[in-house]
Amino acid sequence: MSGLTRRELLKAAGVAGAAAALPSALAGPAGAQGTQKRELVVAQGGDISKFDPHFSTSANDIRISFNLFDNLIARHPDGKLQPSLATDWKLTNPTTWTFKLRHGVKWHNGDPFSSADVKYSFERTWDPKQNTRVSTVFTTVDKVEAPDASTVVFTTKKPDPLLAARVAFYGGQIVPKKYLEAVGNDTFNAKPVGTGPVRFVSWTKDDKIVLEANPDYFGGRPDFDRFVMRAVPEMAPRVAGLLKGETDIITQLPPDQGERVNGNPSTRVAGALYAGLYVLAVNSKVPPLDNPLVKQALSLAVDRDLIVKELWRGRGIAPSGPIAKGDNHFDTSLPALKYDPKEARERLKKSGYKGEDIVIETTAAYMANDKPMAEAIVAMWRDIGVNGKVEVVEYSVRAQKNRDKSFKGLWWSDPTSTLSDPDGMFWRLLSPGGPQDYWRHARFDELGEAARFSVDEKFRGQAYKEMTRIFLEHLPWIPVIQPYEDYGLQKHLEWTPNPNQQFEIRRFAFKFRRA
Amino acid sequence: MASSIPVSVPADAAGLEAARGGRVARRTRQLVAAGAAFVALLTIMAVAAPWLAPHDPVRQSLRARLTAPTLEAADGRAHPLGTDHLGRDVLSRTIWGARVSLLVGFAAVMVGGLVGAGLGILAGYRGGWTDTIIMTMADAQLAFPFILLAIGIIAVLGPSFPTLVVVIGLSGWVDYARVLRSQVLVLRSREFVDAILALGGAVPRIVARHILPNVLSTLVVIATLQLARAIVLEATLSFLGLGIQPPTPSWGGMIQEGREYLDSAWWISIFPGCLLLLTSLVVSRSGDWLRDLLDPTLRSE
Amino acid sequence: MRALVTFLAARLARALVAVWLVSTVVFVVMRLSGDPVPLLLPPDAPRSEFARVARELGTDRPLPVQYAVFLGHVAQGDFGRSIHFREPAMRVALEYLPATAQLGLTAFVFAVLVAVPAGVVSAVRRNTVVDQVAMGVALVGQSAPTFFLGILFILTLSLRAGLLPTSGRGDWTHIVLPALTLGAFAMASIARLTRSALLEVLRQDYVRTARAKGLREWRVVAKHAFRNAAIPVLTITGLQFGQLFSNTLVTETVFAWPGMGRLAIQSIYNRDYPVVQCVVFLSAVLFVALNFLIELVYGFLDPRIRPR
Repeated sequence: MSGLTRRELLKAAGVAGAAAALPSALAGPAGAQGTQKRELVVAQGGDISKFDPHFSTSANDIRISFNLFDNLIARHPDGKLQPSLATDWKLTNPTTWTFKLRHGVKWHNGDPFSSADVKYSFERTWDPKQNTRVSTVFTTVDKVEAPDASTVVFTTKKPDPLLAARVAFYGGQIVPKKYLEAVGNDTFNAKPVGTGPVRFVSWTKDDKIVLEANPDYFGGRPDFDRFVMRAVPEMAPRVAGLLKGETDIITQLPPDQGERVNGNPSTRVAGALYAGLYVLAVNSKVPPLDNPLVKQALSLAVDRDLIVKELWRGRGIAPSGPIAKGDNHFDTSLPALKYDPKEARERLKKSGYKGEDIVIETTAAYMANDKPMAEAIVAMWRDIGVNGKVEVVEYSVRAQKNRDKSFKGLWWSDPTSTLSDPDGMFWRLLSPGGPQDYWRHARFDELGEAARFSVDEKFRGQAYKEMTRIFLEHLPWIPVIQPYEDYGLQKHLEWTPNPNQQFEIRRFAFKFRRA
Repeated sequence: MASSIPVSVPADAAGLEAARGGRVARRTRQLVAAGAAFVALLTIMAVAAPWLAPHDPVRQSLRARLTAPTLEAADGRAHPLGTDHLGRDVLSRTIWGARVSLLVGFAAVMVGGLVGAGLGILAGYRGGWTDTIIMTMADAQLAFPFILLAIGIIAVLGPSFPTLVVVIGLSGWVDYARVLRSQVLVLRSREFVDAILALGGAVPRIVARHILPNVLSTLVVIATLQLARAIVLEATLSFLGLGIQPPTPSWGGMIQEGREYLDSAWWISIFPGCLLLLTSLVVSRSGDWLRDLLDPTLRSE
Repeated sequence: MRALVTFLAARLARALVAVWLVSTVVFVVMRLSGDPVPLLLPPDAPRSEFARVARELGTDRPLPVQYAVFLGHVAQGDFGRSIHFREPAMRVALEYLPATAQLGLTAFVFAVLVAVPAGVVSAVRRNTVVDQVAMGVALVGQSAPTFFLGILFILTLSLRAGLLPTSGRGDWTHIVLPALTLGAFAMASIARLTRSALLEVLRQDYVRTARAKGLREWRVVAKHAFRNAAIPVLTITGLQFGQLFSNTLVTETVFAWPGMGRLAIQSIYNRDYPVVQCVVFLSAVLFVALNFLIELVYGFLDPRIRPR
């Protein structure tokens, strides 16, 4: 901890002590109104593994990489796409997008930014020699051209209504061509150079990352001198550190802790409704889960309101179908999924279910509340006569089962809506050949494919409505909750969380309240 | 060796000093009896869990989750040790948790004992390369943290009761092997063994008649100490999420589940943890006392 | 002297074989335990991508071939590249070494500084309340599971009393709880052994003589007894130090201490074989070297028990 933070801590402790000694005194919230801090300290639940944005897509990694680097387009916390390295973009014909780049942007090492960097970055993602981990993000793109220093033209293979959204998410970060070609991937990863609001200073693995403000940032110098990201895997110390004032923001605040954070005079909870859903994905190929009636019974037996109210302390909503609230084409008229144990029992009877084991393979603490929810849901299933079982698998085992498509029954999935659209959400996962391709339905597939390549939003809306109806009958997923992603923060800062797990510290989203 | 295992240090010289007088020997006997009584009680508790536990250990009550120890909770029941994050009764789970601990503990001691004794006799009897290989394996095992290997093996086979028993059992074979090997070596140097062999006597008979009786008390001492080790190791693995699958309660698993609520609902972790600590303490101490009683030579090792 | 050298050479050879055996077992178990590739790619990557990355990492080759490649590289001191970090595995392991060394040494020094005086006091004031309390605490320290001890410390000293931080590495306050947890077992063992070794010596004739000469008890202990009791204490102390590493695994996990033990466990979960191999190798070498050293010191300290 820096001297500054420790002083803050001591000051706060002194005030708290005085308040306790003089209960009649006006116990103003210590340091809640303003601060002189020049250092932003954030604690997240795990360390990063790499800086190179094309080599990682994990939530911990992108909290850093989206701030070291910029995309052509940025998705702001309100869900809207805004200019970033590109000041303007338009669809010049159904398969051509033209981007105008910002002038005068410099890399952290002083090199000028140009269209050559953009072309290089996108080509790097799918270059087989580079072996990146984001090689499939831009499969709709045919080629990227740079006719002049401030123009980039994308040609897509078919009309792609979501290209702008794709460019704004992972894989779309722009990396420095000249520097990378000069030093190679390893040095770039060890000493990353971007255009973003913060510059790399140091990294102590499993401890902390230190970054400093980029004074020349085109979006304005961020409201701090230093940004320290600490890795604090356990929840208790994360919360304790916030309450003591050692950290300014903590990520992954469990709902059970919200009360304490809000009850503390100098801290508060800030949440964003997760841009995605928590669902139990179903292997619809194994009996009895190939029977829609069984799946309907399983869904009807889940008391989502109880789960939201007790396990989530109200920090979430019950979903109505496969589309997350906040996404394009979310149907506000659709009711939340019903809890009806009587009906569930009847459908189970009608299905001819003979007491086979139905297994949820859950991770423990990979998603918030995953294991407790799995145990609670299995208990609810047992109440209607389903032989439910929970098996805890490690995250790496889950990843392997995901690749081999070898889940025994159901498992947790937290599909993020990467593009704020059903296409980047359920269709990305449930489409033929997708990672959760365990169930096929001719009409569903036809509509999904048509909607992916249509630039007619009205048609797309109709298609997703019909797909939702089919989904609700066959339930390739059993949606359980759309939770809030909560953060704990000091009241001396203003910050808006981003629903899609990006951690935005640019000027427009973050500032300290100055005393 | 694996972490946090109560390996016994050479016992008190004070004990030795006084053990020559019968008064302290009698006291040691009483202590051993008390230790045995504790284990017996624990076993009875484990066996009788369905009748002793006030509630079904896996029965949830989300509306009464995280209830502090009370005689009248929101769900109208008594939860003298409180409820966990799913509203399950901590007392009932702690009682049932003894089953996993003891079952895995005893089974693992058997496995370790059989493997260790077998390899030890083999090493001592065959000598030469066999002996070198087996003893090098023992060295190798002691030279690195067993818990790493345990995690790896469980990752291969998946956490299940047999896997746990074998893994934990194998973590403790070295002690048995060393004792039996040296006993065999002692015997082999005596002529009568050669005579028996020359007369066509079978090796198993020699083992049964001449070796086991000599080392039985030592084996009992080692087994007792290993029981404490095995129980702690099982809890450690469960704590790391590699133990018995839910909803079956185990002490280590309960401590893990309660960890996130340590600040707000300490009772989830602390009650099973204290029973685990007590069990480990009494069993390992009983091992020490037994050694003082049965086998004063062992302590000078 | 010649005999000693031969003996030590034989020990060294055996130790090397032990290290090789450990590496091989870990190699086999790790390769069987699962595939790192799915952890590196987004879940919606197509199968061809998985195959490509497997080729890049060499995990698509048969196990014996992988083993041969591994041995070949290790012989040249190359442990391969970390799959998770994309850096040389040895560099990753060595980056975590200082934290572990700091924790281990602190815990150890802590243990010795508390345990030896406690053992001496217990021996001199044997069967008094002081003795009973000290030995009672030692017994608990010796049988308490490391992870639960850590949790008890976190609950009482950190969450309740608010005296110390619960986890991570930072200023000196961060190391107190993990060092206490890690050192507890060694502390208890050393305290009990110091007491019993000292008692043993105090019964010897020359101590009685010294007493008979009218020397005060404390002087007897300081001048005559302690030095003789030191040899067994030193031995067990050395052994305890060797055992510390396995306990750091759990301690570092409980306190999120960014050291090699935690790295090892995380790397198993990440299927980061090269790093696991590297850490295990380092710890085995450390352990073997320590034992070797102890044997050496032991041999010189006490000629009576010099090995055959």
